[in-house]
Amino acid sequence: MYILPPLLFAIALAASPVLASPMAYALQPEASTVGFETDFGPDKITGRMPVTQADLSLDFQHVAASTIAVTLDVAGAEASFPFAAQAMKGPKVLDSGDFPTITFQSTSVKTDGDGAAVQGNITIRGVTKPALLHAVIYRQAGTVAGDLSLLTIRLTGSVKRSAFGATGWADAVGDEVRLDITARIQRVE
Amino acid sequence: MRWRNDPQHFGAVTRLIHWGMALLIVSMLILGTKLANMQPNLSNLALYGLHKTGGFLALSLVIVRLIWHRISPPPAPLGPPRAWANRAAKLAHGLIYLLLLGIPLSGWIASSATGIDVMVLDRFVIPPIAPVSAAWESWGFWVHGVLTKALMGVLALHVAGALKRGIDGDATMQRMIGG
Repeated sequence: MYILPPLLFAIALAASPVLASPMAYALQPEASTVGFETDFGPDKITGRMPVTQADLSLDFQHVAASTIAVTLDVAGAEASFPFAAQAMKGPKVLDSGDFPTITFQSTSVKTDGDGAAVQGNITIRGVTKPALLHAVIYRQAGTVAGDLSLLTIRLTGSVKRSAFGATGWADAVGDEVRLDITARIQRVE
Repeated sequence: MRWRNDPQHFGAVTRLIHWGMALLIVSMLILGTKLANMQPNLSNLALYGLHKTGGFLALSLVIVRLIWHRISPPPAPLGPPRAWANRAAKLAHGLIYLLLLGIPLSGWIASSATGIDVMVLDRFVIPPIAPVSAAWESWGFWVHGVLTKALMGVLALHVAGALKRGIDGDATMQRMIGG
């Protein structure tokens, strides 16, 4: 993975006419995952959740015009040991039977260092709360510098599961769930 | 070796089940008390599985024992049947059987209600016997704890009664140990 900090959201890009106006991207679902991690006593529970849908519109000149919307498949989630996945999908935590998806919809995007601060609303168990994710964009392996047709966007942040009513096993499992989302995206021509 | 019980003796099957369950129950009381006061993590998570396996074994053994005692009735207590000690022993034995059924069943109910598979021997999923429900879960674990404390009390009386008979020189202990 090649980091493109000078490229992303940067003045250098402004010179290229190709980059004007938002560009729509489609998700490469097979190459995209949502990783999560939470505390379990002194240990960690880690896992992944498939991304079922992502609508991304990236504007490298006017970053604020970018939008990100993502839908996750709760039932397809996996965790580092079998009980954790079952507990997580069960009614006391994510309740995948009644709430099969988690969604994120950006409300504002701002440049932030080498990346962007993406403010948005996340809906878990039918409860919608604001969440802040940090985004960094990389170019995918095998692409040349300046090629924006294939990108990798990494979003990191955290949520407090109690805020969404996902309170099961609170005495054993941490409240903060740290997210590390890797979305590989392809520009829609 | 005499396998079956007869009017004077405990056979080998009954004695084996009695002492096997004694060992299992004492181990399970220690393990269960540890679990109730333990902060779970990855390295001790297997202890929950061990407790479920032990509970399933205990429930199976008590059922086998009840069936066996229909097939081969155990001898009556030594001494006059209407003596207070024998009536107390009969009551204690009845309570122990009820608790040995109720404790694993309440644990199974509570575990089923968590929505997580109840596994035995780390590989066999036994079917849930209660709906996935926070109310069933908290009620089930409460009952499990209360019945366990009752069992500790009744077992203390059972052991004290057996020791008293030993001290008094009656043959109850010998016939449960040696047949």
